[in-house]
Amino acid sequence: MSGPVIYWRDRILAFTPGESVAHALTRAGIAAFGPGPVGVPRAVFCGIGQCQMCLVQIDGRTVEACLTLCRDGLRVGPEQEINHD
Amino acid sequence: MTKAQVLVVGAGLAGVGAAVELARAGQPVLVADRAPRAGGAIHRQPLPGRAAISSHAARWDRLIAEAQALPIDWAFETKFAGLDHTGTALLSGATNRLMRPAALVLALGAREAVRPRTGWTLPNVTTAGALQIELKTQGLAPQGRVLLAGNGPLLIAVAAQMTRLGNPPVAIVESAAPFAHPLHSLALPLSYLREAAGYMATLIRARVPILTRAEVVAIRAEGTALSVRVETPKGPRVFTVDRVGLHDGIRKNDGGVTACAAVPVLALGDCAEVLGARAALASGRAGGIALARALTNGTPRETVPSTTLVRERAAQQRLARIYAHDAMARLADLPGGTVICRCEGGTLDDLRALGPTPRVRELRLLGRFGMGPCQGRSCGEWVARASADDPGLPPPDTPLGRARWPLAPIAIADLIAATSDTGAAPLPSEGT
Amino acid sequence: MDDLGRYDAIVLGAGVIGASTAWHLVQAGLSVALVDAEGPAAAASGASDGAVSVASKKPGPLARLATASLLYTRNLAADGPLMHGYHPRPTYIFGSGPAEGAAIDALIAKLDALGDAVRLRRDGAADLLPGTGASVERLVELTGEGHMPGYVAVAGYLRDPRIVKIWPARVRGLEETDAGVIVDLGTRRLHASRVIAALGVSTTTLFPQMPVIPRAGQLFVTDRGAPGALPGALTSAAYLLAKTTDMTALPRPPVVIDPLSTGQYLIGSTREDHADPGRVDFATLQKLMTRAAETWPALRNRRVIRAFAGVRAAVSDGLPIVGLAPGSTRVTLATGFEGDGICLSAVIGREVARMAADEAPTPALSGDLAALAPTRFTALQEGAA
Ligand SMILES: Cc1cc2nc3c(=O)[nH]c(=O)nc-3n(C[C@H](O)[C@H](O)[C@H](O)COP(=O)(O)OP(=O)(O)OC[C@H]3O[C@@H](n4cnc5c(N)ncnc54)[C@H](O)[C@@H]3O)c2cc1C
Ligand code: FES
Repeated sequence: MSGPVIYWRDRILAFTPGESVAHALTRAGIAAFGPGPVGVPRAVFCGIGQCQMCLVQIDGRTVEACLTLCRDGLRVGPEQEINHD
Repeated sequence: MTKAQVLVVGAGLAGVGAAVELARAGQPVLVADRAPRAGGAIHRQPLPGRAAISSHAARWDRLIAEAQALPIDWAFETKFAGLDHTGTALLSGATNRLMRPAALVLALGAREAVRPRTGWTLPNVTTAGALQIELKTQGLAPQGRVLLAGNGPLLIAVAAQMTRLGNPPVAIVESAAPFAHPLHSLALPLSYLREAAGYMATLIRARVPILTRAEVVAIRAEGTALSVRVETPKGPRVFTVDRVGLHDGIRKNDGGVTACAAVPVLALGDCAEVLGARAALASGRAGGIALARALTNGTPRETVPSTTLVRERAAQQRLARIYAHDAMARLADLPGGTVICRCEGGTLDDLRALGPTPRVRELRLLGRFGMGPCQGRSCGEWVARASADDPGLPPPDTPLGRARWPLAPIAIADLIAATSDTGAAPLPSEGT
Repeated sequence: MDDLGRYDAIVLGAGVIGASTAWHLVQAGLSVALVDAEGPAAAASGASDGAVSVASKKPGPLARLATASLLYTRNLAADGPLMHGYHPRPTYIFGSGPAEGAAIDALIAKLDALGDAVRLRRDGAADLLPGTGASVERLVELTGEGHMPGYVAVAGYLRDPRIVKIWPARVRGLEETDAGVIVDLGTRRLHASRVIAALGVSTTTLFPQMPVIPRAGQLFVTDRGAPGALPGALTSAAYLLAKTTDMTALPRPPVVIDPLSTGQYLIGSTREDHADPGRVDFATLQKLMTRAAETWPALRNRRVIRAFAGVRAAVSDGLPIVGLAPGSTRVTLATGFEGDGICLSAVIGREVARMAADEAPTPALSGDLAALAPTRFTALQEGAA
């Protein structure tokens, strides 16, 4: 892949500059962002940062995928997985 | 000392409208928005190089040109956490700052309501608004087979926009019977009729089925697809689709921010009263002018009686009548395992276990409703309706207690990094 | 006005003290009504942390009563009403700088004198608990203490169906006669031979002569994460100082980091002389979180999702008020537990129930309970007059 990319687990996804992580994942067919802490799956719902359902981990921090813009080389993972440090 | 800024939260029509008027009157203004660009719900801007979808682009272009000609500071990708009793506001994200604004303008926009249904928490089930945002930023229709369901004119708008971009939805499932009220409809302002007629023409041409008095009763995952069971007056139907967009109306959304002695707070646009785009801009401008006058002269803020607001209020009331339905009662029939509070996973059974008329403390402490990151801003309505005798009645304003800051979760790393220009006093009387 | 009923005892206030007292009274076979203006755990008990901790108590009566209460709480948690409420876990006390170091030394001496309910397990530096930040110079681990959210304890006691629950009902006044006490609820009246007032910070509305002072504390809650990363509470030695001295400026912010069973962290707290639970501020949040994240750096990756303040009922001389109201033979006060009520509730409920049933207090505690008698203030006033 020549353009800028983000990583989701072992997948490499191209993105358009200015695009949110949520949209890059959605376009790649990734709708399920992993299990949430209480059994409600993590996935986009409101799309505007209100519902807190689209949480993912980036650089060890929990962020809303729908509010976070893609940057080249960003490593994105499910909210629950990265805590095992 | 430099003059304190007015903090405007929200860069939609109301927020930018207010910021323009404040800046024009010489007030220093900071506009913060969690989104990466100005635009808000209606004028959500496309990715660079993509086509704009919004139907009133000229209105926005004029406003933003006005704003750009004025000295306004912007903080995007920045969340407003709230205003505390000392008059300090916290911004976090791309900008991390504790500040003491001269005044606070809340222009947070509306909140989309989605009534719980079986399967509503599955991936690929989103709000219709989320689909529209995707469409507006990408300049493309959401891909795959899409079903739109719920209640209100937004469903028709999203459907038409998708259709024009080449991927009409499989169907629209509408709780009400909006076409059964031609007289009400004709009394709507011409601009509404024109816009609606445009959408309808598109949908009819593309033969998008609109099922009225119909309800999505269950969504199930079937492989990578979704199987959606719909009840219609003519009997049940099942749709197999890739995505579902749900929408049950729009609610005001002031986040529970209250004024404090030090800082006047003004809520403008849809977050104060859901009246749509025209009213939001009018309310933003009028609010900005009144606030600037109050800040300059120390005169009290007078509410300007606006003909736009009066007209839009009447139109919204008509729309509400056209889209009235009794599907709220279905809340009572949902299976006990249905999730009501998405944050904490609280189900209808969890709610019922608290007894017939649970008090706020019990709902919160024992049921954990309102204890998650949204603090009940999303689920409060459903908790209240589901525990009321008549779920159709409007719920109380704060069914889970007064919402408190933070309006959105505060990343601790951001908080620690925040600069402070408040001259904050040390911890009050600690250790005594 | 309706007469609603007669009870052997009426308990006013369904906080953790009132709930425990009511539960102990029905175990003794008394008929009991529990009255609250709002509902269970509506005030301090529903807005507190829940450390069941001897380490944080003032030496003297409070530390000894807390020790007894800790042991008794363990019993009630084994197969009693606190079965789902109490969780044992280690306590870590940390400090930086000489003042906090000295506070830790004093703590160790205090625990030595109290027997072995709570024991010093290890005494060292940050490396004693993996994950602790480098700013921590001294760290001790204690075993024997635990955690019990106040509202869970209240719910546990109230599960006993013999307690007649009356709320929302605000007590307007009490009238003591030769035959008993009349509790005036505005629209109706209750009768009892004994009344126990466990009204927390509202005590002064019915007993204005009691020097009960509101003392607010701010608390902050993070989002969920994997539970168990931090095995017990991390308490700054400054917090001990804040509870035991009159210092107006502490060496470091008095922070407590408490891991909850949900995988959330609860971080507190301040001691502020006012009664307004709406006063929660960003400057305090930033200050407490800065020290909390220095101490437990994993917090840097968390988010604060909730902020609130609870209002503790403090007493001018720093000791709770437990015993017959001055001039009364039927009304017992149990209030003024400030930041220690969850911890003390088990033993206080038991002992107050004994008082109300005209039984002598548990012998080992009688001296310490006597120190809490409300008459200490009337004596003072007479002396001053
Ligand atoms: C921030 C904070 C942290 C704390 N952390 C801890 C801790 O870690 N460990 C610990 O042991 N303790 C802790 N505490 C202290 C503990 O919460 C209190 O000591 C305890 O809850 C007091 O219980 P209570 O029953 O006396 O009072 P409350 O819980 O305040 O109960 C009083 C009740 O009386 C009712 N009432 C008031 N007026 C009337 C009326 N006129 N008629 C009827 N009802 C009325 C109220 O509605 C309320 O339900 C903390 C407190 C705070 C604020
Ligand atoms: S989808 Fe709701 S917060 Fe991102």
